[in-house]
Amino acid sequence: MSAPKTIPKDAQVMIQILKDMGITEYEPRVINQMLEFTYRYVTTIIEDAKTYASHANKSNVDADDIRLAIQCRMDQSFTSPPPRDFLLEVARQKNQTPLPLIKPYTGPRLPPDRYCLTAPNYRLKSIQKKVSSSAGRISVPRLSVGAVTSRPTTPTLGTPSVQSVTTKVGTPVSLTGQRFTVQIPPPSQTTTTKPSKNRPVLFFASCFDGTRVRRKNICEKHFNVEETVKKFSTN
Amino acid sequence: MAAVQGSMSDADIKTDIKTEPSTDGFGNNNANDGRVLSASPSSGSSTGSNKQTAAVTPEDQQTLLAVLQFLKKNKLTESVEILRREAGLPENSLDPKATESAGAGSGGAAGIVDLEGGDVSSLLSRVTGSSSAGAQDQPDVRVVLSAYSQQGDPTLYEVYYSDLKKFIETVLDCHRAELSQVFYPLFVHMYLELVYNNHESEAKAFFEKFSGDQECYYEDDLRVLSGLTKKEHMRGNETLLDFRTSKFVLRISRDSYQLLKRHLQERQNNQIWNIIQEHLYIDIFDGMPRSKSQIDAMSGSLAGEAKREANKTKVYYGLLKEPEIELPLDDEDEEAENEEGKPKKKKPKKDSMGSKSKKQDPNAPSQNRIPLPELKDSDKLDKIMYMKEATKRIRLGLDNLPSVCFYTFLNAYQGLTAVDFTDDSSLIAGGFADSTVRVWSVTPKKLRKVKSAADLNLIDKESDDVLERIMDEKTASESKIMYGHSGPVYGISFSPDRNYLLSSSEDGTVRLWSLLTFTCLVAYKGHNYPVWDTQFSPYGYYFVSGGHDRVARLWATDHYQPLRIFSGHLADITCTRFHPNSNYVATGSSDRTIRVWDVLSGNCVRIFTGHKGPIHSLAFSPNGKFLASGATDGRVLLWDIGHGLMVGELKGHTDTIYSLRFSRDGEILASGSMDNTVRLWDAMKAFDDLETDDFTAATGHIHLQDNSQELLLGTYTTKSTPVIHLHFTRRNLLLAAGAFNP
Repeated sequence: MSAPKTIPKDAQVMIQILKDMGITEYEPRVINQMLEFTYRYVTTIIEDAKTYASHANKSNVDADDIRLAIQCRMDQSFTSPPPRDFLLEVARQKNQTPLPLIKPYTGPRLPPDRYCLTAPNYRLKSIQKKVSSSAGRISVPRLSVGAVTSRPTTPTLGTPSVQSVTTKVGTPVSLTGQRFTVQIPPPSQTTTTKPSKNRPVLFFASCFDGTRVRRKNICEKHFNVEETVKKFSTN
Repeated sequence: MAAVQGSMSDADIKTDIKTEPSTDGFGNNNANDGRVLSASPSSGSSTGSNKQTAAVTPEDQQTLLAVLQFLKKNKLTESVEILRREAGLPENSLDPKATESAGAGSGGAAGIVDLEGGDVSSLLSRVTGSSSAGAQDQPDVRVVLSAYSQQGDPTLYEVYYSDLKKFIETVLDCHRAELSQVFYPLFVHMYLELVYNNHESEAKAFFEKFSGDQECYYEDDLRVLSGLTKKEHMRGNETLLDFRTSKFVLRISRDSYQLLKRHLQERQNNQIWNIIQEHLYIDIFDGMPRSKSQIDAMSGSLAGEAKREANKTKVYYGLLKEPEIELPLDDEDEEAENEEGKPKKKKPKKDSMGSKSKKQDPNAPSQNRIPLPELKDSDKLDKIMYMKEATKRIRLGLDNLPSVCFYTFLNAYQGLTAVDFTDDSSLIAGGFADSTVRVWSVTPKKLRKVKSAADLNLIDKESDDVLERIMDEKTASESKIMYGHSGPVYGISFSPDRNYLLSSSEDGTVRLWSLLTFTCLVAYKGHNYPVWDTQFSPYGYYFVSGGHDRVARLWATDHYQPLRIFSGHLADITCTRFHPNSNYVATGSSDRTIRVWDVLSGNCVRIFTGHKGPIHSLAFSPNGKFLASGATDGRVLLWDIGHGLMVGELKGHTDTIYSLRFSRDGEILASGSMDNTVRLWDAMKAFDDLETDDFTAATGHIHLQDNSQELLLGTYTTKSTPVIHLHFTRRNLLLAAGAFNP
């Protein structure tokens, strides 16, 4: 025969507190959560009080330290709304200004852009090194085939989208109507070069059988393409 | 020090006398002047003995100066001289000294000794005026001037209270009900005074002895009080701090008041009289004393009842004139309107848009009282749709009840916290405890996002169905989920033009979502505490939000800061609603009052008390004259906004009422509650033949008929789904929403 399961004392106290505050319906897990909170709160307070006591060069923690700890914690974590007279004063000042007139025909009425959440939340990552200085250390360029949209704002431009294309040189790859993009990854050894000046990614087209094809400058920023393409045509 | 203390308490009493000149006549002033004169010599004698302690702390200095001011104002020159001499204040100790010493100490006090007005009563009221001092200083200053200073032997409090109890029990029946109103505020203030002055054991004994005597509807407050045993506990509790400093309003007839006053002034220790004067505001009226039932109907709020003056401002409750819209002439036959857009007279089903449009309704606000957005073409099309639908509207009544269509949210795991329908009932939005906002389409038409900017460039802008072409078919789905909040979403509201959705959350922000792209556009930050409710204005552009910080804010979608702040409630604001004419906002709060605010000035124009629990739902009648409110006590109360009176009480629900809605023509009021029922009430009859004669309007006495049973038209029970939202479609079909709760 097993002994009847008794609830530990602190849980009994918690149940009593809940009853005193008038809470009659609650899930059983609530008691555990309340006990966890109690434990965490009390340990925080006592630790804070120990800090204050040692700061005051006292050997024992006494009631003043605890009081101070509680007060500081309350101002920090358990803030309460501002007092009523303060609110009345703020309200009085705010309500004095007349209601602003509404401009007609202005489209969606939103606050200035810096207060809205409508700005893009990404930034295009630039390719680090100028290609001319590290011609020898460039790793295999990745080739991505696909329709490239002309808008620089789609996030897919920034990421190299690798699609499987056989890269055997010499295979006649049809050029007509397709655009090839080549992205030169930044040389891995020189990652500590100066931080990106936010130069957008440059895509330029080339073809695997070596013939020079039209370059497509997709982004608006200028970039000296002539040299780089010349270099690549020798690959 | 005791002498200085004594002068402090005297200052309290006298300053309070100043603020209630209407209650006491000259006689009372005399009595207090006598006390002043007696106090000054006593202070003189004791400070004569310890002149060193006359160099007092800055706060005491303030009080002395305040007392000086008061005496000067009342031309008590002898007392002024005596006090000045004995307290050791130099001749010119007034303006500069006051500001100096105040600058050293709590800066708030400087603004207080406002010597242009020279009005000491401004001491208490102007405490609010000085916002320069940090909010932290304010309570301390108020503590000094208006706090619970030691006013008597703590052990005798029980004696005083039981004394008063005995007296009131022996009084005539007709006066007893009124005088019993005094018990509760007196009890609370005496208890708080004991706690504040650190008499813990006496406070506990006092509480145990007398808490059982109070009215049952104060039970929740008393429970909160019972947990408050030390001075430190009071510090963080804003509601109690407000209670302490605001005056509890009682409305007592002159006869009863005279009785009470005479009794208390006869006694030697006017302890209770002091407390009454300091913390209670007694609004005296001439006439018959009120009965217990009348008093019970109006009381229950945290600050007593409303003063008569609070409800005297003129409120423009009429509706704004509908703009005249030219209908296209090739409509169907039954829509044959005349050119001006006014409906023909032989269509009685139409709402009163067309009739009486020539005369200006005297109770309606002018069109440009507050700036409202102009009507766009799409709005005009909406209005035409609205008028068409209105012709097909079913006329509801006693014998023609609406059908109810219930939308149950399954698998919400008790997380559904807010629901809203668009006005044309095409979309439902739900706010959830997992911080998501979900929108569903009610009609078979799916929800689509607008195409991306690149694609939009490609479509033909001149084609007729351009509004269809801008939609991206690939994104069509039954529902859309919107993420953005970081806490449960407690309030949700569609804009009237169905382009925007507002949601308010526990994280303190109100977010505006676009229903074209289903993304978040703006997050309005202002409340730093949970925002319990938000609503768009019936004309769009403005919206109101109310939350835990006890203020409601009026915003416009294109301002990142609020335009108006409605401050005055003593506890959180749980429900905010616009009036149909968008000029007024009603807020219901946990302090059991409803306040109506003017959008133009930000002032509170009406205070309605009477609920015994926090208010969770409000509804304006379509004609703008009446307001219905529901609370946790299960009662629906009806209020006449123009006169500021309670006109009806609907009993029947057994649990909190979370939703109220009038039908489109105002004949039926539907209420949905946590007890899983929807009840329909006959609003037409409830508002019919109201007797608002002069007496009622003047004194605020109400005679409520107990006709809840007659007004109840039907009760519809759900299986196990609390009803949290109600909506009448444009054709008067009732839609209800709730989350299944097995």
